[in-house]
Amino acid sequence: MITSNSTQPLLRISDIHRRFMLGETAIDALHRVSLDIHSGEFLAVWGPSGSGKSTLMNIIGLIDTPTAGEVWFDGQDTHSLKDDSITDFRGKKIGFVFQNFNLVPVLSAQENVMLPLQIQGVTDTAARDRATQALVDVGLDKFMTQRPDKLSGGQRQRVAIARALVVSPRLIIADEPTANLDSENSTMIIELMRQMNHSKGVTFVFTTHDPRLLEHVDRKVLLRDGLIVEDEVTQ
Amino acid sequence: MNTLKLAFRGLSRNRRRSLMTLLTIALGFAAISLFAGYTHNIYSGISRGAIHGEMLGHLTLRKPGMTKEGKLYPERYLLSNDEVEKLIELLRNEPHVKLLAPRLAFSGLISNGRVSTIFLAEGIEPSALKTLQDGMFTQAEIERGAFINMKKKLDPDHPEVVELSTGLADLLHINNQGQAAMLVNTMSGQANALDVTMSKSFDTGNAGTNDKFALVSLGFAQNLYDAAGHADRLTVLLDEVTQTEPMRKLIHAKLQAAGLEMEINSWNELSSFYTQVHGMFNMIFGFIFLIVLTVVVMSVANSMGMTVIERTREIGTLRSIGLRRAGVVRIFTMESLMLTLNGCGMGLLLTVMVRYGINVANISYTPPNSVSPTPLLVDLDVGHIVFTFVLMGIVATLAAYLPARRAANTKIIDALGHI
Repeated sequence: MITSNSTQPLLRISDIHRRFMLGETAIDALHRVSLDIHSGEFLAVWGPSGSGKSTLMNIIGLIDTPTAGEVWFDGQDTHSLKDDSITDFRGKKIGFVFQNFNLVPVLSAQENVMLPLQIQGVTDTAARDRATQALVDVGLDKFMTQRPDKLSGGQRQRVAIARALVVSPRLIIADEPTANLDSENSTMIIELMRQMNHSKGVTFVFTTHDPRLLEHVDRKVLLRDGLIVEDEVTQ
Repeated sequence: MNTLKLAFRGLSRNRRRSLMTLLTIALGFAAISLFAGYTHNIYSGISRGAIHGEMLGHLTLRKPGMTKEGKLYPERYLLSNDEVEKLIELLRNEPHVKLLAPRLAFSGLISNGRVSTIFLAEGIEPSALKTLQDGMFTQAEIERGAFINMKKKLDPDHPEVVELSTGLADLLHINNQGQAAMLVNTMSGQANALDVTMSKSFDTGNAGTNDKFALVSLGFAQNLYDAAGHADRLTVLLDEVTQTEPMRKLIHAKLQAAGLEMEINSWNELSSFYTQVHGMFNMIFGFIFLIVLTVVVMSVANSMGMTVIERTREIGTLRSIGLRRAGVVRIFTMESLMLTLNGCGMGLLLTVMVRYGINVANISYTPPNSVSPTPLLVDLDVGHIVFTFVLMGIVATLAAYLPARRAANTKIIDALGHI
C-alpha cells in the first residue's frame, strides 16, 4: 500500500558509505548508496550473503551510523541527534523484527510486547491493553502468558512482530525475519507483515535471500557488493 | 519500564549462579553481623565492668593535678569536707545524676601477724557501693551465675569489717571473719595502723589486681588515713551511659560558674583496659569487614560480569527498541542491588538463628588476664547491621555498575551480533 510516493519520503538515505575495520583491513560494506522509502511501502532488500543487506538495515533502523552520507527520517536529519534523542526517536518511530526473534526469555509474550511501551513510560495498564490488542492482531491471543521457550518459531516471530507494531511505528525493519523458519511459517510471517502493512499502513522494509518471498512485495531492491544494482516496483 | 520486574526475572535466569552469589553475600553478612554482635557484647560487658565493677562510675571529679601530684602532696590535692559538701550540693539535683559518691584511695601494708604484703584500698560509703554496683550484670549473666564472686558489700554498722580480693586473702591465709592489720602513711606522713576483719573475699576480675585490692568503708579509710571528711575524688553515677559526654559538659560549665576548678574524667578515659580492648576489636572488626566485603564484591562483580556478557544480545535488542544507555545500567545495577539486599536479608536471618544457637549453648571462656570465665554471648548490633546493609548495597551496586556501563556503551550492532 503506497500512499504518497510523490511527497517527501519517510526515509531518505543519500550517498551512504559504510566502512568496517577488521584489524588493519578496511572492508567497505556499502558504497555511495542512495534510497528513498515512502510511507506505506512494503519493500524487500535482497541479495546474496555479504552484499550489505544487514548493514543497510542497521543504518535505516538508526542502530548504526554511516561512515559518510546522510540519513533523513521523517524530514529529520538523524546525524544531528544525540544518542539519547536518537534512542527515543527510534523507540517511537521504528520497530524491529530480528532473525533470531530476540525476545526476552524470562518475560511472557504479553510482557515482551509491553516492553517498548514501558520503556517509553506508558502505564502498565495501558501497555497491557495495547500489547493484548497487538497480540490479537497477530493471532496470538491464546498464547499471551506463554514464555518464548514454550512457543514455536513462527509464534515467536509473530510475538516479535507484535512487539514491533505495538508502539505504532512509522517503519518496521525486519532483518531476515524468516531465516530461522520453515517455508510454511516463512510465508505465514511475510503474509502477516503484508496484512499489517495494509491494515495499519505501517511501512515495512525487510531483507531476505529467499526469492519466493519476493512475490509478496511492492518493491524489491537488489544489493550486490554494497551497491544497489536493481530497484524494482513490482505492484 | 518495570526495572524491578526485569531485574527480578533476570536473577531467575541462572538460578545456580544467583544462589551461589546470594549465599556468599548471606554468609559474609552473617559473619560480619555475628562478629559485630560479639564485640558489642564485649564492649557492653567491659563498659559495665569499668563503670560498675571497677566502680569508676561515669564521671570522676578531682582537683587538677591530683593524679600526678596527689600521692606526694595529699593535703594539697584532697577534697576537704566543705568542698565535698559543696560539690554534692551543686550537682545533686542535676538531671541524670543517680549518685554522687566521695571516695578515698590509699595504699599500705596489710599483715596477718606473720606475713605482710602491700595492698591498694578503696574507701567508699557502703550505700554508695551498693548503688554503684547496680546494673553490673545482665539478666543472662545473673541467670548463669557468672561473675557471682565479683559482687562486693560493706557493712554500714561495722566500719572495721572490710572485703579483700581473693588473691590477697589467699596470700595472708585469711578466711571469712579472719583478722588482719592495715598499716598506712597518713596524710601528714605519720604511720597509722588499724585492725580489720574480713567479711568475705571477692574477685576484681583482673589478675593484676586480684592479689592486692581491698575495699573499706569511707569512714574507716578517712580514719586510717587521718583525713576526716576528706576524699580524693567524687564519683558521679548517671542513669544512662549515653549521657556521659553531655553531662561532663554540663557539670564542667556548672563548676566553672561556681568558681570551682575541677578535672573531670569519663569512665572510658580512666579505664585503659576498655580503651585497649575497644581499639583491638575495632581493628580486628575492620580487618574482617574488609576481607568479607572484598569477597562479596568480587562475587557480585563476577556474577554480574557473566550476566552482562550472557545478555549482550538482549541489551542490543532493548537498546534497539528504545532503551537508553542509562536504562541498561539501571537494569543491571537494580539486579545487583536486589541480589545484595536479598543476600543481606538471608544473612540477617542466619545471624538471628546462629546468635540464638550460641546464646543458648552456654559456652564460656576465660579471656587473657581474667580470673573468671566469661560467657560467650552475641548481641544484635543494630547499628553495625544497618551499616553493613547499606555499605554492601552501595558497594555491590558499584560492582555491577562497571560491567553494566560497559555493556550499555557497546554498539548496538555489536551487541546484536554477540554470540
